[in-house]
Amino acid sequence: MALTLNAIAFQSPKRPSFTPPPLPTAHRSPTLCMASSLRSASREVETVNKPFTPPHEVHVQVTHSMPPEKVEIFKSLEGWAEDNLLVHLKPVEKCWQPQDFLPDPSSDGFHDQVKELRERAKEIPDDYFVVLVGDMVTEEALPTYQTMINTLDGVRDETGASPTPWAVWTRAWTAEENRHGDLLNKYLYLSGRVDMKQIEKTIQYLIGSGMDPRTENNPYLGFIYTSFQERATFVSHGNTARLAREHGDMKLAQICGTIAADEKRHETAYTKITEKLFEIDPDSTVLAFADMMRKKIAMPAHLMYDGRDDNLFDNFSAVAQRLGIYTAKDYADILEHLVKRWKVSQLRGLSAVGQEAQDYVCGLPPRIRKLQERAQTRAKQGPRIPFSWVHDREVQL
Amino acid sequence: MASVTASSVKFSSVSCLIKQNQLSNLKKASLSFTGNGFQSRRLPVLRFRVACAAKPETVMKVVDIVRKQLALPEDRDVCGESKFSVLGADSLDTVEIVMGLEEEFGICVEEESAQSISTVQEAADLIEELLEKK
Repeated sequence: MALTLNAIAFQSPKRPSFTPPPLPTAHRSPTLCMASSLRSASREVETVNKPFTPPHEVHVQVTHSMPPEKVEIFKSLEGWAEDNLLVHLKPVEKCWQPQDFLPDPSSDGFHDQVKELRERAKEIPDDYFVVLVGDMVTEEALPTYQTMINTLDGVRDETGASPTPWAVWTRAWTAEENRHGDLLNKYLYLSGRVDMKQIEKTIQYLIGSGMDPRTENNPYLGFIYTSFQERATFVSHGNTARLAREHGDMKLAQICGTIAADEKRHETAYTKITEKLFEIDPDSTVLAFADMMRKKIAMPAHLMYDGRDDNLFDNFSAVAQRLGIYTAKDYADILEHLVKRWKVSQLRGLSAVGQEAQDYVCGLPPRIRKLQERAQTRAKQGPRIPFSWVHDREVQL
Repeated sequence: MASVTASSVKFSSVSCLIKQNQLSNLKKASLSFTGNGFQSRRLPVLRFRVACAAKPETVMKVVDIVRKQLALPEDRDVCGESKFSVLGADSLDTVEIVMGLEEEFGICVEEESAQSISTVQEAADLIEELLEKK
């Protein structure tokens, strides 16, 4: 069976069927609700009477949607991956480590360095920290992402030490990403501007919740998803770097910029894989692209929860939108970039459904932009709400 | 759309959350005949509830916009009862339909109202309600 459907229903006895978490009303962002709430057919249920229950997905879990014979394609691409994919990894000896950007505990100057870091951080407003924390929490949920990549048929790491180029890539990618969370965690810890315990709690909840990008064990879907995501994180960290510079913290700008550079390299790699798939199997790949866009690209941390705010992700996204760190416009831009990069409009020899998918994908960016522009003109000032990550200080949505 | 109420459009509407609790936008006019003048004749007390549905022309305009948005074939039947989701509209289509209606009728649809529209009739009724308020 190509498709196995598991209907997993988490029903709260207190709520009728489902009610989506109420979104904050007047806020400026068309946001990421577009780019991020992405829950087309998915539903989120909160239980009102059970305290500290994180939101969870309630949608039909589709698995193994790639026909088994296509697994061969990925086996046959192992040589290609060895020569063309692994080159985008950096040898460990050449890699930066978090310590390169943090006060040196082995040095006598450690305490002064920490003091300087905290002085610089004092100049940075709470709303920036809310977004930085959200980004850090996302990075710290890395176990979820390695897991997700290892759900993909044909490219998974079968043993944890598999020698296939796909597995080598995944492990090394994970190792590189791991530094991002570590670096941001240590920076935030030293900064003194945030409530580490609340943040740590959020991370524990998030890793526990996992995520379902709806990639169905299908590497066509999976690599399109990761291509999009890596570009999104590149954009996002690039913006946090720029803002840090504006607030006068050059070291933080360097931190964010370095992370962004990694994401760029990863984006190049995943985009290359998808480009290859477009080359050898354009029909399946364009169908996969349309499918992922219809389902909307779910942000990895969309189930984030801090034990207090049932709308944490939406609130965080609203701030990220207002600060211009990651916006609905970025979502449209990324999509447009990928459509051009993969030359989707020039694909030939597609089936009827393939052409339909091609039309859908090529026509999607302007539609999203129009929506986003309309929302922008109508947006009104959002409320100020407390974020536990900054000791319940209020931040403008 | 010179709208006094600049409402923020939440792309939550684009996220295709299927709303179970739908606001009914049907205008209800409640008429009750207490039969004052007829007491001597002992007529029963009658209460009527009349739902003022939108004019057929409005419904037709909505049908046109929906047809265009969803590129429906000529032989596909679209009427007041037609549900957008059944016609094949995804969340993006629904928002675009609402946008088309706004442009056509010169109205501004609030986010909450937009999310409650699921049929052609409901859209038409909401339009008339908004036109009346203008």
